[in-house]
Amino acid sequence: MEIRSLSLRARAVVEGFMSGLHRSPRTGFSTEFTEYRQYSPGDDVRFLDWKVMARTDREFIKKFEDETNLRCTFMVDFSKSMEFGGDDAGVKKSDYGRTFAASLAWFLTQQRDAVGLATFDRDVREFIPPRYRQDQLKTILGRLETQPAGNATDLCQALEKLASLVGKRGMIVLVSDFLSPLDEMERCLSLFTAAGHDVRAVQVLHPREVDFSFEDAAIFEDMESGQNLILDPGMARESYQQKYNAHNAALDAIFSAQGIPGFRVTTAEPLERVLQRFLEERPARAVVRQRRSNARNAA
Amino acid sequence: MSFLTPLYLLGALGLAIPIILHLLHDRPKNKQAFGSLMFLDKTKPPVDRKRRPTHLLLLLLRCLALLLLAFVFARPFVTVDDPAAAARRDRQWITVLLDRSASMQRGDLWAQAKAKTQTAIGQLGPGDRFSLIAYDNSTDSLAEVKSWLGSASETEVNAQLERLAKPGFGGSNLGQALVFVGEAMQETESEPDEQPFARREIIVISDLQKGSHLGDVQGYEWPTGIWVSLKQIGEDDQGNAGIEQVFSRVPWATAEAAPSFRISNSANGIGDELEFLAHTTAGETLSQKVHVPPGRSRVVELPGEWAGKSVERLAIRGDTAEFDNQFHFAQNRQQAVRIVYIGEDKPNDAEGSLFYLASAFQQSNTLDFQVEAISGKSTDALPEADLFVIGDAVDNPLAQALGQTIESGATALMVVQSPGQAANLGQWLGADGVVIRDIASSDYALLQSLKLDDPVLAVFRDARFSDFTNLHFWKHRELQNLPDEGIDVLARFDSGPPAWLAARPGDGRLLVMTSGWTPADSQLALSTKFIPLLYSILQPVLEQKTQSRQFIVGNRIDVARFGNGQAAAGITVIPSGDGMEAVSVDTFFTPPTPGLYTAKGAGWSETFAVNLPAAESRTEPIVMEQFQKLGLPMSAPTATPAVAGAPKKAEALRREYWQWALAAMLLFVTLETVLAAKGSRATEPVMT
Repeated sequence: MEIRSLSLRARAVVEGFMSGLHRSPRTGFSTEFTEYRQYSPGDDVRFLDWKVMARTDREFIKKFEDETNLRCTFMVDFSKSMEFGGDDAGVKKSDYGRTFAASLAWFLTQQRDAVGLATFDRDVREFIPPRYRQDQLKTILGRLETQPAGNATDLCQALEKLASLVGKRGMIVLVSDFLSPLDEMERCLSLFTAAGHDVRAVQVLHPREVDFSFEDAAIFEDMESGQNLILDPGMARESYQQKYNAHNAALDAIFSAQGIPGFRVTTAEPLERVLQRFLEERPARAVVRQRRSNARNAA
Repeated sequence: MSFLTPLYLLGALGLAIPIILHLLHDRPKNKQAFGSLMFLDKTKPPVDRKRRPTHLLLLLLRCLALLLLAFVFARPFVTVDDPAAAARRDRQWITVLLDRSASMQRGDLWAQAKAKTQTAIGQLGPGDRFSLIAYDNSTDSLAEVKSWLGSASETEVNAQLERLAKPGFGGSNLGQALVFVGEAMQETESEPDEQPFARREIIVISDLQKGSHLGDVQGYEWPTGIWVSLKQIGEDDQGNAGIEQVFSRVPWATAEAAPSFRISNSANGIGDELEFLAHTTAGETLSQKVHVPPGRSRVVELPGEWAGKSVERLAIRGDTAEFDNQFHFAQNRQQAVRIVYIGEDKPNDAEGSLFYLASAFQQSNTLDFQVEAISGKSTDALPEADLFVIGDAVDNPLAQALGQTIESGATALMVVQSPGQAANLGQWLGADGVVIRDIASSDYALLQSLKLDDPVLAVFRDARFSDFTNLHFWKHRELQNLPDEGIDVLARFDSGPPAWLAARPGDGRLLVMTSGWTPADSQLALSTKFIPLLYSILQPVLEQKTQSRQFIVGNRIDVARFGNGQAAAGITVIPSGDGMEAVSVDTFFTPPTPGLYTAKGAGWSETFAVNLPAAESRTEPIVMEQFQKLGLPMSAPTATPAVAGAPKKAEALRREYWQWALAAMLLFVTLETVLAAKGSRATEPVMT
């Protein structure tokens, strides 16, 4: 992360990922054939495969994969807790998260996909609807480069608002540390999944948040609330990790229930690898959805 | 425990300094920002092992030494009662004068009074003398403890106090009570084997209302060495209105006067609109508004329409204190006064005596004068009468009966108009040879040497009425051979012979006039002296007939008087109201509560009313200067038991303990030195 410019960073990350195609979850009428289906009365006769009919004397309908461009909206957490890290403690979570979003945006733009951005803390700060334009990437990178000035995170409140802002179905990439109470999380995420969005969650954590590897007693200050706590890390570590694990387990359960692939990354991981992992997940996910859709149609 | 110089105790705060410093050092100084504290719990502040106290015993010893040092400088002491000093204590005699008059019924005054009494009891020490005296019109000793024995005596006094459940209905005669107690305390000396009293004090617990009678103290030389302390309760008096009957001074002289009542409103009264109510025997309630501004009083006549309705109780409404708002009322009945004229006059003969006699008496709503004339020659029995007027010679059977009647208590007025009456006169006076001689004079006679001290002529004693020079006597007679004793000459003619005489044969009275009042004899009948003279002669009878049936609580009522002294068969007094028991009395009855009472004797019954003393309605507090003017040696009215108890403090011993504390401190310092020396030999450094 030595490269200061976000666009350069993103470009460096994306290089080498130019190949690969992701498909829209919507089946439409495009040039790419996917499968046959037996004709049933009411189907449009235009899609009958006449050649097969002539050969086998049976009516089949040809189905095609819709190859419309992907609409992807990045939702990036700009709250104060994302500012943890930096200096001797490694990369800031916010830098990591923003670079990740910028890299992916760059990559998608290269594929002519529409890309949008929403930043939030307690509320939605910025919303750029997904669009494919010449200057869209520039705008998004510019916004991502602004320093977050948010307060506490209220993920759920922000998601509720975004659900009303994001219109057409598409991909939603949620970048946050998810370090907030999970009481309402499932309901809020379901607003997107129910609307047919393909939601992906990227949980960015600092390695110290994972293992609480502090040594000396200190006054620990909550970056969001400003609350102080005098702590001996050695004494508090065990309890911290128990709670941390329980929180993550609960978060995973929510993701799994909503069919959301969740990526838990630490700022110590190389971003290229994370990006690769993320992109590898995508086609597989698309195939699953395609199969589900086919099964419904066959029934 | 107390301290002579308690400020030095602040030095003990120095102990906290090393502990505070220790705690401050233990607090981490570095700050660590962290994403979220949601997974962190408050843990015990981390302890720096290097700074952990190792020699706790040393720390404790040093702290204790410091603490004791501060303690020593503060000079602690304990006060203890010295039993020997208590025995040497001066004795005091405290008398509590507790007001139990009717005005103490207001609000919670009685509870306050009892509480003040308890406070007074709290001042007593062993061996003191204590008297508890309740007063109203009279004084009653409730408790007397010659040598106070602490709680045992207190229980005894409290039991007596509890028996006096509530105040009475009497008036308040504080002066009499003070004089009574003052004399008793002065006269009582301590026993030879007892310690003399160093202090004698009377504590008056009262509302000290203006209606209290203080006259007895006025002019009384207050004994020296007896202090009076006034504990006033009910200073926050909110005003009061009272009702009393207004009596005419000469009830028989006022004709047709309806009973009138004075309604007074105290100066600190709240409102000026009062309601005047009358309750009749039929259960009817009549009312009318009366406007009485605060500080004023108003006389209200019983309205005519009420008077005819047999009112038994009057009341006022509209003030704060209820205790004096009822007035029981026994209406006077019209009494017959029988006057028998013995003579030959015609009733309408303006030249005769009877005509003027009958005209002299006027009917009133209380008195019904019945003048009857009989002939001196009559052989009928002598009728009963309150006054016999003899204008002519009386024949013997009648004269004899008359003589006996006079001797048994009747009043007779004999007008000597003819020498023929000499026999009668001699017979009634018990004298032989009485001769009546007409004085032949061409000139009129005047009266002189009037004995104005005599009850008959007392009415003329005032210089305005004692001029008899306008009264001319044309004819008069001289009585000869009268007995030397038993006859008072009330007036003489200027020529010397007696004009009016008074004799007392037996229990009765016989008045003799040697000149009549007819125009032929004198100007008396037409003068202003005639009617007063006749009423004056009748006064004992009229007083008895018009005696009031209104009394106040505590009055000693001669109930036999209602039945003309007929108490032989015993008299029963029945109070009105439910649950009241009849009382048998001989002659006198002292009513304990207000109300209507019925006295019943053999063949007669009379109702009389008993009310609160009117002075009790004056509930405003007396100004304190008045007591000082009376020469009472006053203790401060707000004297508290603490002041009285101050000498006790002096008897306590003060025991100081600072030397012991100093010794303990030195011991701790020595111990600390020994322990520290041991510690320094060891390798581990001592950190405290």
